[in-house]
Amino acid sequence: MKNPSKGHTVESFNEEMKREHKTVLQMGALVRTQIKNAIRTLQEEDAEEARKVIAADAEVNNLDIQVAAHVEHILARRTPVAGDLREVLTVAKMATDLERCGDEAGKLARLTIHFFGDRGTAPNYQLLQEVSSVAGFVDHMLQESLDAFDQRNIERACEVIRKAESLDGEFRSSLRRLTTFVLEDARTIGQFIDVVLAVRALERIGGHAKNIGGYVVYLVTGRDVRHETLDEILRDLT
Amino acid sequence: MNEKKVTNPALEVSDMQAYQDVAGEVAVEDARVSCRDVRVYYGDKQALFGINLDLGSNAVTALIGPSGCGKSTFLRCINRMNDTIPNCRVEGNIRLDNQDINDPNSDVVELRARVGMVFQKPNPFPKSIYDNVAYGPRIHALAESKDHLDSIVETALKKAGLWKEVADRLNSPGTGLSGGQQQRLCIARAISVQPEVILMDEPCSALDPIATARIEELIDELSENFTIAIVTHSMQQAARVSQRTAYFHLGNLIEVGDTEQIFTNPQQQLTEDYITGRFG
Repeated sequence: MKNPSKGHTVESFNEEMKREHKTVLQMGALVRTQIKNAIRTLQEEDAEEARKVIAADAEVNNLDIQVAAHVEHILARRTPVAGDLREVLTVAKMATDLERCGDEAGKLARLTIHFFGDRGTAPNYQLLQEVSSVAGFVDHMLQESLDAFDQRNIERACEVIRKAESLDGEFRSSLRRLTTFVLEDARTIGQFIDVVLAVRALERIGGHAKNIGGYVVYLVTGRDVRHETLDEILRDLT
Repeated sequence: MNEKKVTNPALEVSDMQAYQDVAGEVAVEDARVSCRDVRVYYGDKQALFGINLDLGSNAVTALIGPSGCGKSTFLRCINRMNDTIPNCRVEGNIRLDNQDINDPNSDVVELRARVGMVFQKPNPFPKSIYDNVAYGPRIHALAESKDHLDSIVETALKKAGLWKEVADRLNSPGTGLSGGQQQRLCIARAISVQPEVILMDEPCSALDPIATARIEELIDELSENFTIAIVTHSMQQAARVSQRTAYFHLGNLIEVGDTEQIFTNPQQQLTEDYITGRFG
């Protein structure tokens, strides 16, 4: 009976929980690669590679379905409670958010095809700079949120939520800068809209990373903080 | 930040001792039964170490914990069933409606009429269905006439959800019923004397899932009129039927709280480890 908290008496339950933990991290790594590849296709003006990024989204979707099926089995067969229940719910929610991040990466790749495909019109290089700068910020958030989950680290989760507040400012600044191009030359309006949609896709990925940060706080503390500000979260944690 | 409390270490049975503290609020506003510093000894061996716990009126309290943790011992203190065990000594204060049940002047027969009990295995008397239910009202002289007794039996069987199944064979032996029906007969027998509290010691452990579901539904209905304490080894059952859950470990109450909180976010590491199947 000593050291009971090391693992379940039923070892196969431990294995199932570890497997889902690992799968969702694998899904996160894949999504980050998808986002990076999509951004690279924009920078390298490579429509062919962009098509590969879109095709590769199927792998993310498959992992999402796999996690959902395993979560269903765990709920039905193990009826987890307390920390186990929170972990299972967290994994299920993370898979949904990561799948949507994959969809956003697909939107970025489609933009490459739109700009640099056979019938595309290459945009102003400076417009695309905005996409690259927001992408770096968002990727860091996603990485931080996955690490926070892996380590059950509330401090890192809160850091992601803090960054999401900065991202709002970053997004608005980006819009202002992009607007100046339109003001200078109204003919860039079409490109402007496309680039804004790309930045918006990245902003959504940041939003999903923030969600994951919130799930980690829930996983560790049992508190649902999705609709709380960082100040409110921190006030209740201390 | 947000670490579970580990004030109470997991010990070996041979190391049984009083633990440091209880997580959660042991007192409730509308307590029907109030237990303070309850200690039970079997000869030299101490089985309960100062339990403080209230049972709220018209609510179901689940007592959970590994075998030998003292939950059944505690349950049996509430209607003085431990009096029947040689060498068993109960200390502390247990109040039912603010009256000390261990007061030398209190009548244990009257106490057991006010605090009914349902056991793990259905134990109907080797009598007819009618006589099983009528037994209590007869010995406590609750019925004024034969018609009144008939009405008490019918009401108890209806409350126990058994009336429709046995109305046409009240004179058949109670032992001829199925396991689930026998357990509901025992519940009817317990409630026929209009108790205030019903103690249930693993009432479904010998029943199949359908019979279990019927008893659980019955517990839910009975909780409108009775105070219920149920000992169960099924975590899902505790989560389904109770409003409050108390976790016992090696003779100590470790944590008590709203059932929802205990099963989603327990405060004590020991509670979490037990309910998630890490030991027990």
